[in-house]
Amino acid sequence: MIVYLLKRLAVLLASVAAAGVAVFAFMAVLPGDPAEIALGVNATPEAVADLRARFGTDRPPVTQFLDWFGGLVHGDFGTSYVTSSPIGPQIADRFGVTVVLVLGGMVVALLVAVPAGTYAAVHHRDPVGAAISAVSQVGIAVPAFLAGILLVFVFAVKAQALPSGGYVPIADDPAEWLRSLLLPWLSLGLVQGAVLTRYVRSAVLDVMREDYLRTARAKGRGRMGALWRHGLRNASIPVVTVLGLQLATLLIGAVVVERVFVIPGLGDLLLNGVAGRDLLLVQGVVMVLVAAVLLINFVVDVCYAALDPRLRGAR
Amino acid sequence: MRRIGIWIALGGLLLGTAACGGGSGGRSGETAAKESLSVGFVAEPANLDFTSTEGAAIPQALLVNVYEGLVKLDQDGKIQPLLAEKWDVSPDRKTYTFTLHKNVTFSSGAPFTADDVVFSLGRVKTDWKLKIKSQLDVIDKVDKKDDTTAVVTLKRPSNGFLYALATRLGAMFSRTGVADLANKPVGTGPYQLGVWKRGDSIRLDANPRYWGAKPAAGAVTLKYFKDATAMNNALLTGGIDVISSVQAPESLQQFADPNRFTTIEGTTNGEVVLSMNNGRPPFDDKKVRQAVRYAIDHKALLDTAWAGRGKPIGSMVPPTDPWYEDRTGDYPYDPAKAKELLGGKTYTVKMRIPNLPYAVASAQVVKSQLAQVGITADIEPLEFPARWLDVVFKQGDYDMSIINHVEPRDMGIFADKSYYFRYDNPAFGKLLASADEGSEQQQTDDLKQAAKLLSDDAAADWLFLFPNLIVAKKGVTGLPQNAIAESFDFTGLAKQ
Amino acid sequence: MSGRRLNLGLATGGALVGVVVAAALVSFVWTPHDPTLVDAAGKLREPGGGYLLGADKFGRDTLSQLMVGARTTLYVGVVAVGIAAVVGTPLGVAAGMAPRSRGWLSELIMRVNDLVFAFPALLLAVMLGAVYGAGTLTAMIAIGVATVPAFARVARAATMQVMVTDYVLAARAAGRRGPAIALRHVLPNIGSVLIVQASVSFAIAILAEAALSFLGFGTRPPTPSWGRMLQESQELLFSTPRLALWPGLAIALAVLGFNLLGDGLRDHLDPKLRNARG
Repeated sequence: MIVYLLKRLAVLLASVAAAGVAVFAFMAVLPGDPAEIALGVNATPEAVADLRARFGTDRPPVTQFLDWFGGLVHGDFGTSYVTSSPIGPQIADRFGVTVVLVLGGMVVALLVAVPAGTYAAVHHRDPVGAAISAVSQVGIAVPAFLAGILLVFVFAVKAQALPSGGYVPIADDPAEWLRSLLLPWLSLGLVQGAVLTRYVRSAVLDVMREDYLRTARAKGRGRMGALWRHGLRNASIPVVTVLGLQLATLLIGAVVVERVFVIPGLGDLLLNGVAGRDLLLVQGVVMVLVAAVLLINFVVDVCYAALDPRLRGAR
Repeated sequence: MRRIGIWIALGGLLLGTAACGGGSGGRSGETAAKESLSVGFVAEPANLDFTSTEGAAIPQALLVNVYEGLVKLDQDGKIQPLLAEKWDVSPDRKTYTFTLHKNVTFSSGAPFTADDVVFSLGRVKTDWKLKIKSQLDVIDKVDKKDDTTAVVTLKRPSNGFLYALATRLGAMFSRTGVADLANKPVGTGPYQLGVWKRGDSIRLDANPRYWGAKPAAGAVTLKYFKDATAMNNALLTGGIDVISSVQAPESLQQFADPNRFTTIEGTTNGEVVLSMNNGRPPFDDKKVRQAVRYAIDHKALLDTAWAGRGKPIGSMVPPTDPWYEDRTGDYPYDPAKAKELLGGKTYTVKMRIPNLPYAVASAQVVKSQLAQVGITADIEPLEFPARWLDVVFKQGDYDMSIINHVEPRDMGIFADKSYYFRYDNPAFGKLLASADEGSEQQQTDDLKQAAKLLSDDAAADWLFLFPNLIVAKKGVTGLPQNAIAESFDFTGLAKQ
Repeated sequence: MSGRRLNLGLATGGALVGVVVAAALVSFVWTPHDPTLVDAAGKLREPGGGYLLGADKFGRDTLSQLMVGARTTLYVGVVAVGIAAVVGTPLGVAAGMAPRSRGWLSELIMRVNDLVFAFPALLLAVMLGAVYGAGTLTAMIAIGVATVPAFARVARAATMQVMVTDYVLAARAAGRRGPAIALRHVLPNIGSVLIVQASVSFAIAILAEAALSFLGFGTRPPTPSWGRMLQESQELLFSTPRLALWPGLAIALAVLGFNLLGDGLRDHLDPKLRNARG
């Protein structure tokens, strides 16, 4: 297990470094000189050269990259060319918001999917089970932003029960914080919940066919009891994998949902950065998002191996 | 089953807190509302330094509120005293003597004196990085007579000078307060910078040292929305008190209930210009430009793209300027005439527009109407501001574009042939120069003629005058009827 | 699992996809009205009288827009899935066929694959849009590249299964070379898996295109796109909800169709995989 872990960790680090090169190279292609953009349309050539030297964009790309990536390792994302404020703290602020958004969405998805999926599997011959399957199929087909728009329409605008958007930091007012996040959580979570329901259902169905479960039931345990005792661990393997993939999807889905609900998260920061040509900022945010996805995949792989030792050799 | 119980408990907890959150949230909202107001805006400043960063968002937030000039513009476009209690103009109209208010201090505590006037106006030439700074090139020198008297000497008489002082160019800076203009503005205004949450909001707090009448609101929060619908929803659900500029006019009927909302519709300085690149084919040909002007049905455009709000104008002058004339009759909608001018030829042009709601909506109408006369316009939305400024404004790599020119009295941009219109007519420049030097009557006459010349030359097409559409919660007072200054003045804003 | 219900899924999916394809094809030769023609007099026209679903604020016929929008949707889906299949399949097959002695090759391909997987379509599209400007092409490439890993993974897994079958072992024993085996034995046998993946990826591509158009990184106006129709309808959601209803419904039904089709095909083409996705 230790060897496996170390090997996976090495792959993770190599991937993050490779992603860094890719992101940097990609951004280097962006048209427009940051110094010229920062100074506006009427800057003198001397002023531009000055600023270039101050930004360090007059150095060879390799030096710039090493400088940037070296900074990242120490948690230093550099200083924005556009806002002349450090980027690290901005990303840190926003990252927290997005994480809360994504995790909350995940919880909603699980709250929906685990009971619904299990029920649909256990009662897969009943009309209710079939109905759950059908509803989940439809749920998958609804984009998260559409769900968001509809939720705002119903709960905020018509019912006036919840705010339509905005974000209140938990330190300012915990109750308002929760209220400001409920609708975004729902719009992320319900759609993902539909996806997850299908996986939970099929995982539970598979487990129910296994011999040990039949044995357990033969010994007189109820269907749910047998499942609870013996099936959960086995059913959780595919679900955990999908959960990992879903986290990555949610992270990106959050970009759109943040726009719908005016939540100052990473996605919002990214879109602002693109619009304002804030090169370093975009670079930093993309790097954080990509690294997060890689890390999630790493954790999923490790969980996978921990849950099912047979799989350790496979990857 | 035990663990399922825990899940249910957790779910209950979530719902429970949500319910009690509803109660307490409402209460805290009400108490906070008495001392502060929040206003929704579209564009957030990239930084707070309007001496080196282009864009309307910074002066909109800071001018008059945080920074004050010697004079300011009122609702009718008239110049009123601000930091200068009065001023005298010499008979040759070249010397302005400003008498300053006494006991004025900056928010940093530093006193405001004539030295700061000399410093601030001097900085425009030496430190500002904006094109508009040339409007103050007419200043020969600025002298301090005593602590409360400053004397400005001009190279020649200028009608535009005092007006320019009412814009951001005339903002007064402290000699000790310009170290970090991008993040820490220091001015003499009724408000000072409170908290800036980047990407979200800027809170302005009342300046306790303010020399004049204290503003009615203790704090004003400027909240930024990239999405028009999100801003509407925020007002509908009480998230903000005012929408400073409605970006989705079709949605106005949501706010029709007079018991809940107040709607203000006035004018702005914003001419929504359909620019045509005069510097390259096909729009270097006056006939093609004229054909475009005939081909566009401005009434239909306004009705479909902007819900009929706003006003067709026909040239680069808003109705609040003294030299305004309705020039919409110069090129009445006449597709047959347009086709005739094109002589049966067809053209394909690049329409590179900013990705802003009014531009995207207008572009689709323009495209459809131009198609009727044989001009195919390929729409390409560019992110605003960065990419649009770079490609269209700076490089001039476009055939057509659509942008709202919001600066006050900005007809002069057509006199600069390097400006992205690439319009080059020396006669126009001469008219502007003589307008600035001459008497008030001559100014008006010359500028009327200049506006007519622009229209005749079809230097561009003017789609409509952008409306000042403000929606507020009922009971909010002190909102500007017309948005003709660069700033959104919060000083009178109050909530009953 | 009764076969009857699954066939129902396949039939429903096939029918929904068929409607979308038919609408797109018909739109090439006929739409009720010009979908981009602005008509001030017909602003927000109510449904009826030649305008079956009414018109938007520009007076443009909603049905015509939906039809041409179907074309945009399919166009983006076909190109994106095409890119993903053309790039991802050979990579996956190569990784799956690599013998143990060249395990590093397989490992390298899959690691690079994981790396690409960490750049989701939306992120790629936003980055590409920043460089080359937003547009249909940018969206297609971004979605396509982001879908490559899905194809590579599926192709690799299926290839590994095929490689241990008797006929492949026999072919190898007969001295056939890798490319020949790949063409003759592997590709035909993993075809069904790839078709299923294509169908599922198509559904994801439709959702991605809608989200991108919603954010303004997708299809340029005035070319009709369901995502942008939704975005444009937002300001009228209160007064004229039907403008949001139709494109929203179109997106949901198209996605549902491709998902059902994928599931149905999976069961139909490869009964062994039944229940692999519930």
